[in-house]
Amino acid sequence: MAALSEEVLLVVKRVRQRKQDGTLYLMAERIAWGPEGKDRFTVSHLYADIRCQKISPDGKAKIQLQLVLHTGESTNLHFSNESTALKDRDAAKDLLQQLLPKFKKRANKELEEKNRMLQEDPVLFQLYKDLVVCQVISAEEFWANRLSINNVDHSLSNNKQEVGISAAFLADIRPQTDGCNGLRYNLTSDIIESIFRTYPAVKQKYGENVPHNMTEKEFWTRFFQSHYFHRDRINTGLQDIFSECAKQDEKGLKSMVFQGVKNPMVDLLSLEDKSLDEGYGSNSTAPSTSNTNKTVKENSNSAIIKRFNHHSTMVLAAGSGKKADAPNGQACETSSTDGNSRDSDFFQPPIKKVKIQDVIEYEDLHRENGKKTVALNLKKSDSVLSGSALCTASCAIAALSPGGVLMQALAQQAINQMVPNDVQGELKHLYTAAGELLRHFWSCFPVNTLFLEEKVVKMRSNLERFQMTKLRPFQEKVQRQYLSTNVTWCLQSQDCVFDFPLVPPL
Amino acid sequence: MKLNIEGLLVYFPYDYIYPEQYSYMLELKRTLDAKGHGVLEMPSGTGKTISLLSLIVAYQREYPLEVTKLIYCSRTVPEIEKVVEELRKLMEFYSKETGEKNNILALALSSRKNLCVHPEILHANIIVYSYHYLLDPKIADLVSKELSKKSVVVFDEAHNIDNVCIDSMSVNITRRTLDRSQANVETLQNTILKIKETDAAKLKEEYRRLVEGLKEANVARETDIYMSNPVLPDEILQEAVPGSIRTAEHFVGFMKRFLEYLKARLRIHHVVQESAPQFLKDIFEKVCIDRKPLRFCAERLRSLLRTLEIADIADFSAITLISNFATLVSTYSKGFTIIIEPFEDRTPTIANPVLHFSCMDPSIAIKPVFERFQSVIITSGTLSPLDIYPRILDFRPVTVASFTMTLARTCLCPLVVGRGNDQVAMTSKFETREDFAVIRNYGNLLLEMSAIVPDGIVAFFTSYTYMENIVASWYEQGILENVQRNKLIFIETPDAAETSMALEKYQEACENGRGAILLSVARGKVSEGIDFVHHFGRAVIMFGVPYVYTQSRILKARLEYLRDQFQIRENDFLTFDAMRHAAQCVGRAIRGKTDYGLMIFADKRYARADKRGKLPRWIQEHLTDGSLNLTIDETVQLSKHFLRQMEDQLGLSLLTLEQLQSEDMLQKIAQIAHQA
Repeated sequence: MAALSEEVLLVVKRVRQRKQDGTLYLMAERIAWGPEGKDRFTVSHLYADIRCQKISPDGKAKIQLQLVLHTGESTNLHFSNESTALKDRDAAKDLLQQLLPKFKKRANKELEEKNRMLQEDPVLFQLYKDLVVCQVISAEEFWANRLSINNVDHSLSNNKQEVGISAAFLADIRPQTDGCNGLRYNLTSDIIESIFRTYPAVKQKYGENVPHNMTEKEFWTRFFQSHYFHRDRINTGLQDIFSECAKQDEKGLKSMVFQGVKNPMVDLLSLEDKSLDEGYGSNSTAPSTSNTNKTVKENSNSAIIKRFNHHSTMVLAAGSGKKADAPNGQACETSSTDGNSRDSDFFQPPIKKVKIQDVIEYEDLHRENGKKTVALNLKKSDSVLSGSALCTASCAIAALSPGGVLMQALAQQAINQMVPNDVQGELKHLYTAAGELLRHFWSCFPVNTLFLEEKVVKMRSNLERFQMTKLRPFQEKVQRQYLSTNVTWCLQSQDCVFDFPLVPPL
Repeated sequence: MKLNIEGLLVYFPYDYIYPEQYSYMLELKRTLDAKGHGVLEMPSGTGKTISLLSLIVAYQREYPLEVTKLIYCSRTVPEIEKVVEELRKLMEFYSKETGEKNNILALALSSRKNLCVHPEILHANIIVYSYHYLLDPKIADLVSKELSKKSVVVFDEAHNIDNVCIDSMSVNITRRTLDRSQANVETLQNTILKIKETDAAKLKEEYRRLVEGLKEANVARETDIYMSNPVLPDEILQEAVPGSIRTAEHFVGFMKRFLEYLKARLRIHHVVQESAPQFLKDIFEKVCIDRKPLRFCAERLRSLLRTLEIADIADFSAITLISNFATLVSTYSKGFTIIIEPFEDRTPTIANPVLHFSCMDPSIAIKPVFERFQSVIITSGTLSPLDIYPRILDFRPVTVASFTMTLARTCLCPLVVGRGNDQVAMTSKFETREDFAVIRNYGNLLLEMSAIVPDGIVAFFTSYTYMENIVASWYEQGILENVQRNKLIFIETPDAAETSMALEKYQEACENGRGAILLSVARGKVSEGIDFVHHFGRAVIMFGVPYVYTQSRILKARLEYLRDQFQIRENDFLTFDAMRHAAQCVGRAIRGKTDYGLMIFADKRYARADKRGKLPRWIQEHLTDGSLNLTIDETVQLSKHFLRQMEDQLGLSLLTLEQLQSEDMLQKIAQIAHQA
């Protein structure tokens, strides 16, 4: 049955599948087909599972659409409404054409991620071979909590964290002389991307001018010749298309300055309680800020300084994925509170107060300066301890811990002297594989949902299978060729599992 | 914890105490006991403020008749707010421990908007406000003059207190000031005419009062109700306002004449420098203005404005400035100089005459404070050399002490870089500061440090112009490009709003792990008011020795005055001044014992004893022979080593109550305070 909330994007009637008439539905996440007169789908494919679609050539009598799945299976759909068959098929095809790439990306991403993990982690790869390839557990089960663990680590990468920009990207564009009085700049797409992200005004100019007014090459040539790029030169030429960019940057910088700072502790404007009234004070050297009194050199120097501040700000903003000149959410949130009430301590804006309290706190002078640990709150510790759950669990843990069965075995006889490397390697693989399976098994506890109950049963049978197909043969082999109790721990810890009463404790 | 400081029960709102805090309180208590003044230096981040508050509040509770009030002065708004927060914490601790409801009234003034709370000031037990409320006679007269003699005054962050004093007493007069004053005078004249028609009695009443003289003020001062005001000298209180300016019209006429004279004085083509007596002689010869009425100008104008019931005094700021100048110039024959400059040095073609009436003697403004209040505490993280403050402020302290930071690990690492790897001396000395090799070596130092120091680096230059020039050359030489490979670069500009934004972005870059460098200026706003705690400042580089711009005539006059009056040699004062600013700059990065940071002094001159010896003791004691006159490479090696060591916090330097009770420990603590 379809979930009630599914959005249906397209409905095509009179579509035959396996010689049965029915209706085709394209939903937000899957495509489904149900036979006429029945309220259930007999065909249902997630878009993510579809590798591609194929259509019958024009002019063929049967107007068909084939869906090929990643698994290699395929489903044929025959559009049988005589008058509109072609139109129906094309509508479905077009919609699929739009939808599939979206899901493909997602599927690919997951696939890539899995691939990457397997490549980077040989142990995991071995585990995968031992468990999935040998069909002890299914691939889905294998990835189920791996990916989610991984998601935490890579949550940022899944949010498509953008790669930051090197602050020195402009320096990386080293001009080379081309031997005949010219300079050669080598631009890569990365650098162009960096320029665009740091200087949106240039991107805008690019959009306006390339390709209708000039070629890309011409654009960049002009860019590197511009006063904008060589900011230390004073901007004079009006014909320079980038002169506007400089102004725009200036405007952006001004608006950022105008917005003020969010952190009251760095606000130099509100630092002084009372500046002297006009005319008082001995500081006669206050520089006149008007540009009229400045020399050309001073102007160029202050332009460089402004440029550095602007550049660093833009690089920083591009790196954090925010637009520098737009007030971000945080700013909006706080702007109502950190207004102009700075002078009264009764109306201290919360951020400021927090910041001040932060500053005056001497954490080492407090007795309780250690991190608070969460006390484990066991209501009925006795019953928990006597419960079979804990018994088996502790048995397993004991076996796996140093000093446990495995470790004893290792300690008693230097294993590396007794068995050849390949057997040792195999043992290691078995050890990790068993550990993995046990992890799956134990992660089901407490079994408080139906799903977990099913899983626990399944895992138990998985373990059994593992024991039969892997451990026993290995044990026999080892016993045949060498001495040993080496594998016993695996068996023992699994026996715990088999002894375990599969009754949900809750 | 509850402490016993030589018999005084002190509530201290923490479970442990730093040894130096204990020592500090001890010295503070002795100062209060002696009813004298004190100079106490203790590094920031060692809990100076809470020690001060805890002890003085305890003292006030124990001896309510001896100390009635605590007046806590700090410099910036954030600092004042910090004090208020610490006070709140202390009060909470008190009510928790004693179970009593808090019966201490504390009042914080941190803006002129709050001036109307005047009556409350008299009743508060603790007042927290900025220096100006006590040192600027114009404000002090409104806010602070009635404060009880039995108050303890604390000037925190007092390393620049002499400059605050001087600023509050200095006046600059430009053409614009005179034009606005002219307009003020005309408004006054019209208002007087109007009042004369409608309410002549009012003016008569004023006249009567002025004949009576300023007796009221005199009585009040003699009976100790008021603190004295340097703009309202004692002598004039005993006299009646001179007849020549007693009627309102005459006074306005008098001011007009005075303004005309000043206008004429501004019409010059060369620099004039003269003393106050010379000025008075000249004004008498040219326009027959006597010294006596001039002295009454400020008071006379205040009376007139009151009589005319003028609501917005701010509109009359120009004429008020002129009248204050008149009173000051006729009252003090010493301690001030008059310099009239026809144009700015930088722009000799643009006429912009200014009359600087400069105070050269900081003791004039602070004298009433020392005279009136029984204990005045001057304290800061950097007050070295300690003996200079009593000299330039002209007072006799009973306690002078410097406290070092007790550390479980050496969390600060001062290094003096004297040479580049090419052995070229590194210095901002005037003769060589523009040398290509010096600038390049400075650049290399920054570049090398940017590669090894995590998160934030703050670099200070000796002046803004110097920074501009260096940044421009670094840019041309491609040094900054390479620095950018390691960190983002932000630079202080003369515009405060722009710099605030750069600062915020700088912190953001330190926070998100990119790391950044802030290029800034000693004596600038950043160096005086912004802290770079923890990762916001893992290294401070001081490029050069931040000497004040010595070509200024005002400074020259002041140096001369210091030499003649206080026997302080010019060079000693200049070095002292440079070193206190350098110490302020490098101290920005260490704000507590859990913090750590490098302090790079990039000038070979720092290695000399006369410079080094003027650094605060808590920095000096970590400056060993092995950290002097280093090359860039050596600096990098030592810095790397230091940073590696700092990765783990190793123990804390704390005392428990039990430890404080052992004789042994108390003896050790006594050694922390270094008596000057």
